[in-house]
Amino acid sequence: MDEKTSGHTHKTAPMVEEVSDFEVLELAVRELAIEKGLFTAQDHRRFTEWAESIGPSAGSRLVAKAWRDPEFKELLLKDGVKASLEVGVDWMNPTGFGTPSDYTDFRVLEDTPKLHHVIVCTLCSCYPRPVLGMSPEWYRTPNYRRRLVRWPRQVLAEFGLQLPLDVEIRVEDSNQKCRFMVLPMCPSGHEGWSQDELASIVTRDCMIGVALPRADRTVDDPRPLHPAVKPVHHHQGA
Amino acid sequence: MTTRKKQDHASSIPTENLGRDAIGVLEAIRTRGKVWDDLARQYGVTNPDPPWKTSLFSTCEALAAGTCALPAIERRASEDDLSESFYQNVPQPERELLALAHTMIERGLINEDELMRRMRDVHQRIHSV
Repeated sequence: MDEKTSGHTHKTAPMVEEVSDFEVLELAVRELAIEKGLFTAQDHRRFTEWAESIGPSAGSRLVAKAWRDPEFKELLLKDGVKASLEVGVDWMNPTGFGTPSDYTDFRVLEDTPKLHHVIVCTLCSCYPRPVLGMSPEWYRTPNYRRRLVRWPRQVLAEFGLQLPLDVEIRVEDSNQKCRFMVLPMCPSGHEGWSQDELASIVTRDCMIGVALPRADRTVDDPRPLHPAVKPVHHHQGA
Repeated sequence: MTTRKKQDHASSIPTENLGRDAIGVLEAIRTRGKVWDDLARQYGVTNPDPPWKTSLFSTCEALAAGTCALPAIERRASEDDLSESFYQNVPQPERELLALAHTMIERGLINEDELMRRMRDVHQRIHSV
């Protein structure tokens, strides 16, 4: 069947046309675990569906609502679990079908002009998934986990966040029972914005604490490419 | 190339691996298997993650839930140790997968022989026409 008769006129993206040993290993481990009753195929499918559906938008809405509503902000700082219900997240049962016992507490850390928070999990990779989605790869690396607690200012600078020396940096270490999220300060230049517009500038990294929200940058901005200040001139035909 | 790195690494595994043993079937995959970075480059694919990555996440979560066969904190600690020894130069998420299988075998949740047999079956099934 050609493109005309099949009705498919779009060009398909390239795909990997072979199955790697790693892909086979993943499938074999999963099948054996299911056969031995360690979990069911349905458990696995539900975790997969949940993982592929979550993102940082719930966290962005919490922050934007707190910026606009002082009473909600008070609740968010006092009882993050209860406040999360207002954006549809139930920490006691985030997937709707049960989760590991680690989702029992959620605390929100408020930044001030003289105090900046950043979260980490030095022990493993605990992360507030119900409100921020899946953790980025770098969050799980030993590099971030080990160095942030020792040299927070330097590590934040590596993310492009250079804080004045008179701003204290507080690193909050997540653990199996408690998850954290940063409530950054609201930037200026947002007068007249709706709550949804405010939420659009609260990116994932702002809520981890490795970036600050800016009124001129939203989560779905095009990726800028800045010309180099001192471009390297390549030798032709060298 | 990653393959080159893996070959270099094969002869440089630390001799003291925290009292843990290499596992033959996983060593074969570590040294021979094509990692996603190489496959993606070979086929011109831009997706940064292999298609089985989310499934691996779900396996880890499901093992920690319910019967709690492998608690998340213990799996991660084991992965950290293995990442500094046997799987030092393996990229993610292949490293996480090898470490999970290694840990499951060490704990008797699965055994090496049945894993080898199942991999053979899966391979045959996937390639049948």
